[in-house]
Amino acid sequence: MTQATVTIENKTGIHARPASVFVQTASKFKSKVQIQAKGKTVDAKSILMIMSMGLVKGTEMTISADGPDEAEAVKALQDLVASKFGEE
Amino acid sequence: MAEKVRGKGVISGIAMGKIMLAGQNLDGYLVNYKPEAKETEKQKAQAAITAVAENLRESIEQMKKDDMAEQAAILEAHRMMIQDPMMAQNIETKVEELGNAPRAVLKAAEEQAQMFEQMEDDYFAARAVDLRDVGKRVAKYILGVKEPEIGNEKVVLCGHEIEPSVIAGMPTDKIAGVLLGAGSTTCHAVIIAKSRAIPTIVGLDKENRIDKIADGDRVIIDGERGEVTINPDEEEVAAYEAKFKKQQELAAHYAALRDLPGETTDGVRVDLMANIGTHMDVENALNYGAEGVGLFRSEFVFMGREDIPTEEDQFKAYKQAVEKCAGKLCVIRTMDIGGDKPLPYLNIPHEDNPFLGYRAVRISLQRRDLFLPQLKAILRAGVYGKAAIMIPMIINVAEFKKVKEFVEEAKVELAHEGKAYADNVQVGIMVETPAAAIMTPVFAKYVDFFSIGTNDLCQYTLAVDRGNANISYLYNHFNPAVLRLIKRTVESARENGIWAGMCGEMASDPHAAVLLMAMGMNELSMSAPSIPRVKEQLRSISSVKAKEILTKVMQMEDGDEIKAYLDQVL
Repeated sequence: MTQATVTIENKTGIHARPASVFVQTASKFKSKVQIQAKGKTVDAKSILMIMSMGLVKGTEMTISADGPDEAEAVKALQDLVASKFGEE
Repeated sequence: MAEKVRGKGVISGIAMGKIMLAGQNLDGYLVNYKPEAKETEKQKAQAAITAVAENLRESIEQMKKDDMAEQAAILEAHRMMIQDPMMAQNIETKVEELGNAPRAVLKAAEEQAQMFEQMEDDYFAARAVDLRDVGKRVAKYILGVKEPEIGNEKVVLCGHEIEPSVIAGMPTDKIAGVLLGAGSTTCHAVIIAKSRAIPTIVGLDKENRIDKIADGDRVIIDGERGEVTINPDEEEVAAYEAKFKKQQELAAHYAALRDLPGETTDGVRVDLMANIGTHMDVENALNYGAEGVGLFRSEFVFMGREDIPTEEDQFKAYKQAVEKCAGKLCVIRTMDIGGDKPLPYLNIPHEDNPFLGYRAVRISLQRRDLFLPQLKAILRAGVYGKAAIMIPMIINVAEFKKVKEFVEEAKVELAHEGKAYADNVQVGIMVETPAAAIMTPVFAKYVDFFSIGTNDLCQYTLAVDRGNANISYLYNHFNPAVLRLIKRTVESARENGIWAGMCGEMASDPHAAVLLMAMGMNELSMSAPSIPRVKEQLRSISSVKAKEILTKVMQMEDGDEIKAYLDQVL
C-alpha cells in the first residue's frame, strides 16, 4: 500500500469541479484508492462520498492506494491536489 | 369536439404539436410494474445504469462537438453520479429490501438527495435536483418509459415549471409551443420563449387543468386566447390550418418589411434591434429584421451551473453571438443577477428585498473573480464583429469609474497573455434607476451610450411591483414621471454626442416608439417578433407629426390620459 498526506489549498476546496476531476483521475487506476480525512475513510472513486466529506481549504487528508499501480495513483492525486486543481 | 383547457396566453401565435412533458410523473408506471426475482431485479438495475450512462456519454460527446460545454459539464456530473460506486451499493441494498428495481433506484437517489439537502449548502441543494433527475432517468429506463425524442413532428413543451436551460438547449424550429403550470409571465422560460417567438401559455396549474394534458397528446395552442385544444378532431384541425395560413400571411406581410429601415416618412431613422438570451436567438432576430442586438442577457451563461463560467466558456458564447450579428452591433449586458435567483457560487445571503439588494454590478464590482473574466471574454469577442459592454443597475458615477478601471485592467491582462481583443468596444450603462436617469447629464461625460431599461425604471420610479395584482394598474410606462426621466436621458445623450437607446418592454409598444423617436432616441431593442409592428408604425408617420404629439403628451398630467390620447391619434 502507498500513502501520502496532503493539505487542500485551493479556495473552494474539493467541491464542485475539483471533486469530479479528482474522481476521474482516481478512476483511471486499477488500484483501490481511498481517502482518509476527518476520521472517515471513503472510496476515492465515489464522487458522492467525496462530496459528502465537505473537504474545504486547509483540510488535511491521506490518500492511500492498494493494487498494481498504487504508486502512480497516489502520485497523480497528490500532484492534482498540489496543483490546486488549476484554481486559485 | 375535443376538450379545451384555458390558461393565460403570454406569447401570441397559434401552433400545433405533440406534447412533450418536461416533468414526468412515474406513479402510474410504478403501480403497473411487475417485479421479478431479486437477482433479476438487481441485474435490471445494473443494466439500466449502464445504458443510461452510455446514453449520457453520447449526448456529452455531441454537446462538446456543438460547443455546448456548459450543458456537457452538467450531464457529465449526472453520468458520474449514476455510475458512482456508493450509489450502486445503495441501489443493491434497496433492491434487496424492496425487491423492485425502479423503486429501489428512486429511493436510493432520493435518500442521497435528502442527505445533500441537509448539508445546508446551496451547492449541494442543487446537486439534490441532479440526483433526483438521474434516478428518474434510470427508473424510466427500467419501466420502459421512453425518453421523449424529438422526431420530425414539432413538440409542445409542457410542465409545471420548465428549466430555462431545457428550452435554451433545444433548436427553435423543433418547439411549436410552451405550456406552463406556473403563472409567472416574467420567468426565464417565458423570456426565452418570447425571444424565439414560441407561442406560450402559463397558469395551467389553476384547478389542475394541466393534468388533463398527457405526454404524446396532439394539441393546438392559441397563445393569444390562452387556449389549448387537446387531441383535436378533424374539424378543429381544419379550422386551425385555416387560421395558421392567415398567421403565415401576416408573417409574410411582416417579412416584406424585413429589409426596410425603421424610418419615418420624412427620413428620421431609428435602429430596431433585438433582445436575446443565447447566441441561438440571433438568427431568429435577424429574420425579423433586427439591425443588431441591443441586449444580450448574459445571465444564461451564468445559470444552470455550479461554478463561475470561465473566461473561455464566456468567450465562446459571446463570440458566437457577435459573429452571427455579422458586423452589426451586439450589446452584451454584464451579469444581472441578485438574491431573487441565487446561484451557488455567488453566495448571496438571504435578503428581505433582493431587488434593492446585492445584485448586478454591485456584485461584479466586489467579485473580480467574476467580473474580470466576463469583461475579458467580451473584449475578446469584439475581435469577431462589433461588441459593446452594458452595465446594469448603476446608480452613481463612482461605480462607473470603477467599471472603467476593471475594463482597463482586463485589457492589460489580455495584452499580457497575448490574447487578441478589440480596443474599441463601447462601454455604456443601463439607465434603470431613477438615480441614474436624473444624473444622465453627468454620466454622459463618461459613458459611450445609454440604454434605458424600462421594466426596472418603471418599477423603481413608481414603487410598483407589476407582478402584484392589487397595484398593477399603477404600472404604466406612459406615467409622466417615467416619460420625463426618459426624455431627460435622451437629451443628455444628444447634448454630449453619445447615443441613447431602450431595451425594456416599452420599446416594443408601437405607440411608445413614436414618442421615443420624437424625443430623439437612436435605438430601440425588443423581443424580435415585436420589430415588424414597431417598424410599421414608425414608417407610417412623419417626425414632424410625432413631435407635435410628443409636445401634447408632455403637457398631460396623467399616464392613463396619455395612453388614451395615443390610442386615439395613432
